[in-house]
Amino acid sequence: MREYDIVVIGGGLAGLMAAAAATKRGKKVTLLSLGSGTLTIGGGIVDVMGYLEGGIPAATPSAGLLQVGAGHPYKKIGRPAIEESIRFFKEICEQEGYSYIGNLDKTQWIPTAAGTLKPTCLVPRTMDTTELKKADKVTVLGFDALKDFYPSLIAKNFKKIPAFAQKEYEVVMIDPKLSEGRDVTALDVARWLDTEEGLASCIEKMRNVIDSGSVVIIPPILGTRPSYAVKEKLEKALGCHFVETASVPPSITGLRLRTMLVRYLKKNGVRIVEQAIVAKSIVEDGKCVAVITEGVDRERTYYAKSFILANGGFYGGGLLAEPGKVIEPIFNLPVEAPTDHELWANYSLFSSEAQPFAKLGLDVDEKMRPLDANGKVLLNNVFVAGRNLRGYDFSFEKSGNGVAIASGYQAAMSV
Amino acid sequence: MKKHHNNPDSCTACTVCIANCPVTAATRKFRGPKMVGPTLERMRLSQDDIEPSLEYCSNCKNCDMSCPSGVPISTLNMLARAKYFKNRKRSLRDWILSHGEKMAKLSAATPGMANFGMKMSRGILKKIGISDKAPLPAYASKSFSKLFKNLKQTSYPDKVVFYPGCFINYNDPQVGMDFVAVMQANKLEVIVEEGFVCCGSPLVVNGFLDEAEENAKQNVQILKKWTDKGYPIITCCTSCGLMLKQEYQELFHIEGVAEYAKHLYDADEFLLDLHDQGRLNTNFGTLNEKYMYHAPCHLRAQGMGLPGVELLALIPGLDVQDADAGCCGISGNYGFKDDKYDISMEIGSGLFKTIKESGRDTVVSECGTCRLQIGHGANVKTLHPLTLVRKSYEAYHK
Repeated sequence: MREYDIVVIGGGLAGLMAAAAATKRGKKVTLLSLGSGTLTIGGGIVDVMGYLEGGIPAATPSAGLLQVGAGHPYKKIGRPAIEESIRFFKEICEQEGYSYIGNLDKTQWIPTAAGTLKPTCLVPRTMDTTELKKADKVTVLGFDALKDFYPSLIAKNFKKIPAFAQKEYEVVMIDPKLSEGRDVTALDVARWLDTEEGLASCIEKMRNVIDSGSVVIIPPILGTRPSYAVKEKLEKALGCHFVETASVPPSITGLRLRTMLVRYLKKNGVRIVEQAIVAKSIVEDGKCVAVITEGVDRERTYYAKSFILANGGFYGGGLLAEPGKVIEPIFNLPVEAPTDHELWANYSLFSSEAQPFAKLGLDVDEKMRPLDANGKVLLNNVFVAGRNLRGYDFSFEKSGNGVAIASGYQAAMSV
Repeated sequence: MKKHHNNPDSCTACTVCIANCPVTAATRKFRGPKMVGPTLERMRLSQDDIEPSLEYCSNCKNCDMSCPSGVPISTLNMLARAKYFKNRKRSLRDWILSHGEKMAKLSAATPGMANFGMKMSRGILKKIGISDKAPLPAYASKSFSKLFKNLKQTSYPDKVVFYPGCFINYNDPQVGMDFVAVMQANKLEVIVEEGFVCCGSPLVVNGFLDEAEENAKQNVQILKKWTDKGYPIITCCTSCGLMLKQEYQELFHIEGVAEYAKHLYDADEFLLDLHDQGRLNTNFGTLNEKYMYHAPCHLRAQGMGLPGVELLALIPGLDVQDADAGCCGISGNYGFKDDKYDISMEIGSGLFKTIKESGRDTVVSECGTCRLQIGHGANVKTLHPLTLVRKSYEAYHK
């Protein structure tokens, strides 16, 4: 039988980071993925802890970590491992030529396509706001026919933000001439800039509307690849600073990050099986021996010494909601949830409280092993990472990719 | 969550498929998998809605593979295409490209003449919409079934049934012969059933769904007959394999597919399974050679990883590097079409570049049309993994 050291279930950020950390430790890893994860939906910026309970902004991600409740994944993982995981993530990015900036001691407030600011921890260099903060005059550049990015809306809303109200905004548009066929998204513009001709044409068009030395807010369009080549060429040619905003799906920054991490894993010998629908497991004496995928044709069995369960929450299929109960389908691990499922939701719109359903998930010990209601470890060689963990609402507190990185890393280090 | 529930409402419009669609990346004429597939399917359920850009979907299945919600997007597109052509006239071009098997049978009497004729008539083919630049395959002088009939196999108690498919049968029979040699080296006797017909993949992509279903019914009956007797079925073509086990279940309602699909194997995966059971002949001779590998999309879609890469890793000395550069662009007969040729080459450009930059002059891949496209686009030699397995077995005895 082919046996691997570790089988990672799930190809989102938690699974990718777990696999990365495991290979770094010299383990032989198989990653079973279904779909391409949510990075391309959610984005490539790393939130660690943006908002505390009550919707109060955390002073810094670090300070936020100290204030989370006992059931939060960060409490289980602990500060040293979180720091190590962030360091490890940044190391990979650096090594792959697509470095991230930021650290736990500083919240980075980055512009969004809606003209608001959102708190985060690590961003790619295309979202560096250093020059934006210093500038007295800011250019907001849009593209004709590009949906989901309205420069005048951004300029108008920035005027309402105290730290940005004093700046002068200029709105300019260029026409990428991508009108043929379908609606234009940031992905189309980014692909246009991936090509040499597109980049040259874009530089010419931009030269007509922006002055050298400007700070320019743009949608996430600086190429689809995990590289700063497009950014550097544009900035050199025009003498400007570009700042990408956070935007709607498909997420270009998430696409770059995913491409980079998958490439890193393959380079390091991780076997990746796509379209792997993990349906069940073989457990003997409190240990998982194998997991089984259910294809359209037949079942396939994957043996390993340890397993990392990073297949997401309700959206990814790692947790299934049924009236009055939540099911973890592969190991049938217990998920504590109110039997009255009316209590799962917070019904008030734009509330300052988290969603109860978003906090439902698996309880784990400090090594990320699943626990029963009495705190007893249920499976010795199974480690949980990512959204299937209980105790946090990633969307509310802005902590999703941070928990994914920290828990994926911790799971791999606990093996 | 098996993938044969064609429910467009499972789509959450997350757009991941758009980011992963190679056609969308290559041309703006295609409105993208989400829009053309599940979004418009909701309209098509209630009315005869026509989406002109539907013709650009190549059925490569990268959308299905990226979908976090298990929507068989490409299959929705193929069903919509069939519905569109239900009461409309088809082009001669699409008929010819869909009926490779019929064309091959017509040419089988005189393949030399047919090849000569094809070369002469590329101008005519161009007039009906087949690109004069595309890498159309030549007919082999002898089909696989002819070669197989003349082959003396050693008889063994353990037997496997081989589904050759059109490409191996008429264009690239050596792959089939290499397969037989590898099975024989593993003390397995190969059965080839005369009644097998084209799997239907080229018919489905051009909207000839009814004809494809007729083929399916015939194949299902034969496949089921053999698996009922306990014989495994093996393919060397990843698109045939995908059609026989998965797309039949998504497109048609034919009894028995789920049953035989349990015993239908890709050749590389079958050999790895033998290895797991300690039954694989591991008398591999050293091959001090370097190759690039290309994973066909229709293999990746099958949820078994890359068995070819794992298999070739067992051969001492062999250095096989996965190009890992996405779709080659051909998608069966998509890249043969005059109006799709440039798109197809644009899709494959990243792969061609990776191969050229590797400096390796031969690319290994399971899919026959991928091999044609790669040979054409990257100007390299190509071969099936089993050709190397056979070569390694032979090297052992030298």
